[in-house]
Amino acid sequence: MRWRSHLSDLTRDMQDHIEEEIRDNIARGLPPDEARYAALRKFGNMTRHREDTRAVWIQPLLEQFAQDARYGLRTLRRNPAFTLVAIITLALGIGMNTAVFSIVNTVLIEPLPYPDPQRLVWLAEWNERFKMEAVAGPDFIDWQKQAHSFEKIASYEYVDPVIEFGGNSDQHRAVEISPEFWSISGAHPALGKLFTAAGQDEIVLSYPFFERQFGHDPRVIGKLITLQGHPVTIVGVLPKTFRFVPPVAGFPGIEPKEIDAYIPSAVSPASQIRGRNMAILNVVAKLGPNVSIDAARTEMNAIQARIARQNPNGFYNLVQLRVQPLQERLMARDRRPLLVLLTAVSFVLLIACANMANLLLARAASRQKEIAIRAAIGAGRARLLRQFLAEGVLLSLLGGVAGLALARWAIALIIRLSPQAIPRLNEVHIDTQVLLFTLGLSLTTGILFGLSPAISFSKHELHDVLKEGGRTSSAAAAGGRVRAALVAIEMALAVILLISAGLMVKSFWRMNTHPAGFDPEKISVMKVSLSGRDYATLAAQATYMDRILDRAASVPGVTAVGIENAPVRGVIGVEGQPPFSPGQAPQATYYSVSAGYLRAIGMALQKGRWVTDNERNAVAVINESFARRVFGSNDPIGRRIRTPSPQDASMATIVGVVANLRYSKLDAEPEPETYLPYRRSPFLRSVDIVVRTIGDPAAIAPAVRKQISTVDSRHPVFGVKTLEQALSESIVPRRLNLFLLGSFAFAALFMALIGIYGVIAYSVTQRTHEIGVRMTLGAQRAGVVRIVLRDGLAIAFVGVIVGLIASFGLTRWMVSMLFDVQPVDLPTFAIVTSALMLTASLAMGIPALRAALVDPMIALRYE
Amino acid sequence: MSTKSEPDRIELLQGTLDLLILRMLLLGPLHGHALAKAIERNSEDVLQVEQGSLYPALHRLIKRGWISAEKGISENNRRAKFYRLTAKGRRQIVVETTRWDKLANAIARILRVTEQENRP
Repeated sequence: MRWRSHLSDLTRDMQDHIEEEIRDNIARGLPPDEARYAALRKFGNMTRHREDTRAVWIQPLLEQFAQDARYGLRTLRRNPAFTLVAIITLALGIGMNTAVFSIVNTVLIEPLPYPDPQRLVWLAEWNERFKMEAVAGPDFIDWQKQAHSFEKIASYEYVDPVIEFGGNSDQHRAVEISPEFWSISGAHPALGKLFTAAGQDEIVLSYPFFERQFGHDPRVIGKLITLQGHPVTIVGVLPKTFRFVPPVAGFPGIEPKEIDAYIPSAVSPASQIRGRNMAILNVVAKLGPNVSIDAARTEMNAIQARIARQNPNGFYNLVQLRVQPLQERLMARDRRPLLVLLTAVSFVLLIACANMANLLLARAASRQKEIAIRAAIGAGRARLLRQFLAEGVLLSLLGGVAGLALARWAIALIIRLSPQAIPRLNEVHIDTQVLLFTLGLSLTTGILFGLSPAISFSKHELHDVLKEGGRTSSAAAAGGRVRAALVAIEMALAVILLISAGLMVKSFWRMNTHPAGFDPEKISVMKVSLSGRDYATLAAQATYMDRILDRAASVPGVTAVGIENAPVRGVIGVEGQPPFSPGQAPQATYYSVSAGYLRAIGMALQKGRWVTDNERNAVAVINESFARRVFGSNDPIGRRIRTPSPQDASMATIVGVVANLRYSKLDAEPEPETYLPYRRSPFLRSVDIVVRTIGDPAAIAPAVRKQISTVDSRHPVFGVKTLEQALSESIVPRRLNLFLLGSFAFAALFMALIGIYGVIAYSVTQRTHEIGVRMTLGAQRAGVVRIVLRDGLAIAFVGVIVGLIASFGLTRWMVSMLFDVQPVDLPTFAIVTSALMLTASLAMGIPALRAALVDPMIALRYE
Repeated sequence: MSTKSEPDRIELLQGTLDLLILRMLLLGPLHGHALAKAIERNSEDVLQVEQGSLYPALHRLIKRGWISAEKGISENNRRAKFYRLTAKGRRQIVVETTRWDKLANAIARILRVTEQENRP
């Protein structure tokens, strides 16, 4: 460092200088004492000159900041209560923001983990009627053949096959992919190879599945396992880092899950025939090296138009082609809730800032004398401002560190509570970007609220302070107005957050309101899947089912047992009504059920009767939604509808109507459903067993499981859970949103209450003298309380009104997060308002009471 | 620098000291004390400079590269630090002097005008 050498001899140089001067003075005839004195006087304050010289070289601002920080630290240590409240407030604000930002950073900002992510696109046909994106198999084949904009086009489909090996049988999440997907995702096997052709009996395992189920044993390569009753060869294992990220479109019931296995898709030109046999696919593609997405879209539109001309059946008028960057498509679903959360959490930070500004303002008011003295002995306004800034930044950095710890804990908690809520949530972590974000956040907030006390004083006002001897001044009054405004803003923000959380709570409550008789906490569901030659015929399958129903019913504590076949979706057709034109027919879900199912699941029969286990004719029971959608107000009983079962000449007579039951997914609107007797189902390989019990189903389930396995031990029961568990899993994302918004709202409420308490408590302290005078002059204690509360309530009222108005505008952004609740829900608004006013009154009540208990004699002496 | 009575002394304007130092060093390298004496002598004790304030100014000039410091022996045979004008500093004297003259002229002109106006 250059400056070090320059400054090294400075003191000696100066001393030499003075010695020289002394010698000169003595030479001029002055006595030694006087000579020394004169020399020193002429030289001036050596310390100051040395500091000034140092300042030439060393960044003076930085040095002053360090000094300010040291001073600030001392001040903070002297006021532990203030420091603690400040750090907690900031830790809440910064910590919550850091946690949400790290989620947003991972989910929305980080690129796809595939090569050239910007070249990946999502291709889909948006069906306006079903509000669903999908691609018909034949179209995919045509695109692959005709489109030149893409390097590769791949299809995939989510499936839940039952995989058996070594006596284990369980359902797994897998994807059927066309081999092109490997090159799009840039995947290379960790072990073995990846399949290269469609329709092979091969399977590739994910690393976690390989580790979990096959004990990390490389010898699995080449082994046979049973997939849906077919033997397939394990050809490869993907690396640990590989992730399947493309979106889930099509069937709304599917949530993104960890993928266990990859199976080659069977889609081929031979298998895909328009109007007869069409797979419903998801399609991703990789653009050619220098092809823009617009060019690709133009080409695809032309291809699609040609397909539509060749197939004039109306279907293509209903679907609209979508060509969209994959990254954008992936975000679409999760973006809105995350942005709502981000906004909500930034409100928490704003409240924290307002609170801090408030605290510092109050403290600045009580430090007026100190500040005035510092100004009087020569600290400039800028210097004072810097002091405040240093204190603010110091506090916010301390708060930031505490916030980071809080964020780490919160992220771990969120991942543990609901790892499936948001795709890629389990990858969320605190990285450099997040650290920078937190640092930036801390500095910004520190500067923001650090500057706030500066509003409350100016130079001439400081003179007043000294003259007034520290009593309330106009400066304090100005500070008081600012503080009142800050608290009103806090209240407004708290109102918005509380209303948002309130709407979420209400959505949740609506979801969990079950019809009478439906008690998911008393019901167990489990699965069984049949395979092998023994169960090749429907008769064998049905006999097995009859026997397990008997066995399960024999377990003590079981009150009803039913089975439900894996549902099928199909187009609705009614006898005597003209068929719907293609693509416009409403769809229904068809379940094959046993007689006991109605009572086991707790469904309510509205009309007619339920199916029995030995129907002579083809019968069906429909749900309310089906009846309303297809028959309107007409009686559906006795009408005949088409069923997906080929064996009954595809027609069944409606014998009953049941109430809608939101069963598989709590947050889905009820869809048209049809229930058919299971014995007339075309196949019964894979069923859900529904068991209603007295008392805790989890305690009885093992006995049921054991009984069932006595029927055929080769086909064990799996996936045992209570219906309540199954249901609550279906609303995990909403639960996470509720949890987060709820925490934000509580933090906001907490801080706003601290804010309003602080303002009132402070004004009571400031007005103790005035209150004493009033009481001496005959004011009643009740009157004093009224005066204090009036001020506070006015602030709270203004805040609440502003908050309500803002909420009217803002809550509609939440529509996609709500269920069965309007964004402007008056009861929620009313409850939040009254709860906030009530708690605010309580917070103000403490200082108000203190004011009322003031002893006038002491108060008059109060300085 | 302190023999004159209070009202006759003039507080230095910001930056003036820098110019004075450069000017003194034009005659040759000097050490701190000699420099202070030289300024005193040449201004006939009119200018009021705390000797200590030379040091921040000297370091400012070193930092700008207008002067350099080197070790040497003073006329009294003592070790001392000598300050020497650099080529850059030499050029700077011209710049600074011109600026100073301009300022002085401008102020003088203003003062003369106000004097005339104030005359009855």
